[in-house]
Amino acid sequence: MQFSLIDHILELEEGSQITAIKTLSQTEEYLKDHFPLFPCMPGVLMVESLFQASAWLIRKSEDFAHSMVVLKEIRNLKCADFVVPGQSLVVTAEIIKQDDTSTTLKAQGVVEDRIAVSGRLLVERFNLADRHPARADTDDYLRIKLRRQYAILWPMATDSATEPTE
Amino acid sequence: MAPSSEEIYKTVNEILDETLVPDDPVKPESTLLGDLGAESIDFLDIMHQLEKSFDLSLNREDFYPDDILTDEQFVQEGRVTDAGVAALKERMPYADLSSFENDPSLKNFGDLLTVQDLCQMVVHKLALGGDAE
Amino acid sequence: MRWYHIDRFVEFVSGQRAVSIKTVSLTEDHIHDYWPGYPIFPSTLIVEGLAQTGGLLVGEMVGFERCVILAKVSRATFHELAVPGDRLTYTATLETQTPEGAIIKGTSHKDDILQAEINLVFGFIPERMEGVQQFYPADFLATMRKFGMFDVLQTPEGEPKLPPAFMLEAEKEALESGILGDEIAPPSA
Repeated sequence: MQFSLIDHILELEEGSQITAIKTLSQTEEYLKDHFPLFPCMPGVLMVESLFQASAWLIRKSEDFAHSMVVLKEIRNLKCADFVVPGQSLVVTAEIIKQDDTSTTLKAQGVVEDRIAVSGRLLVERFNLADRHPARADTDDYLRIKLRRQYAILWPMATDSATEPTE
Repeated sequence: MAPSSEEIYKTVNEILDETLVPDDPVKPESTLLGDLGAESIDFLDIMHQLEKSFDLSLNREDFYPDDILTDEQFVQEGRVTDAGVAALKERMPYADLSSFENDPSLKNFGDLLTVQDLCQMVVHKLALGGDAE
Repeated sequence: MRWYHIDRFVEFVSGQRAVSIKTVSLTEDHIHDYWPGYPIFPSTLIVEGLAQTGGLLVGEMVGFERCVILAKVSRATFHELAVPGDRLTYTATLETQTPEGAIIKGTSHKDDILQAEINLVFGFIPERMEGVQQFYPADFLATMRKFGMFDVLQTPEGEPKLPPAFMLEAEKEALESGILGDEIAPPSA
């Protein structure tokens, strides 16, 4: 999967929290530019790891009810340390509050027992049919594809989330 | 007209909520580092917001006097000397140093400043006319 | 994915403000999986676009003599999604600078619509990392030329500004020695 900033889900407690892992490889193309003399994971990609872990937690917790899960707000997001090739970023996200359309999460990424990134995210969810009625079919397509992506990220999961539901 | 202490506390509270997004509610006795989770980079943010809100000029030494805390005359074997404590009191008359004086270990200084101290800093700076010393 | 998240500078007033543009396109490989069937431009890459715009504003202000790193996203709010075909205009304005770093206030616009507001704190590389270099000077200059930075860079008084002397010297040496990184671009006329 292109632009998947997590490699594997390690734990997931629906409605509560998720732990996932991203290992940085020397072969990731953007490292050539960031930076040529000191390759390290860009801060915003660490944030993307936090967001993607959060998004999978939200999707699985509601059984993929909404096709679109998007980042609405970032608060107090600090990049405190570097992640260099060969290192793994262990990402955790915890739901602080949730309503029908939004979820607030506290998230952090740890490298070798050091907190490399931490902050709060506000994530919004909706179906395309709500905003673009002509794209209602895309909602179903997207849900099927997302369930398959989830199965790749957590192949040991054998519950109904890995199969498309009507 | 100078803002009242209630107005100062309210504004300082809002600034800390915005810059630190603390897990627990801000209280006057909350320490910036220990209770509210402030880190070095947050002080740049906090300082800027205070300057904008109160039309002040601040610098890093108002929060952490590097020059005193790295001076061999004032810090020996990881502890701040009596002369060092006196220098800190003169530099930071707004900070409550009473508990620090009982155990002036350098490592205790980082988590000294409370929300109340920050409010007193604003009062002190406004009385000086807003300029950094 | 190359790590270029702005396409061109359209305005650059030293020490004050920089404006760049970024066009979102289906030719970006990653967008096809994000998300399948309804591609959107990742919001974190909009943060990166403002970080590159603002980071270069801060770096230029100190003559590129210190390494600038993104230390904190104070607050970022995304009012609208960005999708293929959108042209985003990023505006970075310097709010404050200190010996430790700088604060940038940033906005992203889709035409006249405010698409995002992103406030960033940059730090100068910490002392424990002094001596760490991010770029070869000649390569970094080539990248800034690609962004068209020196086409629009000016002083607050409106006078054009050149790249720093040490970068021009490094570029000249690289060209004369025949050792060219794949990034080195010829100096503009």
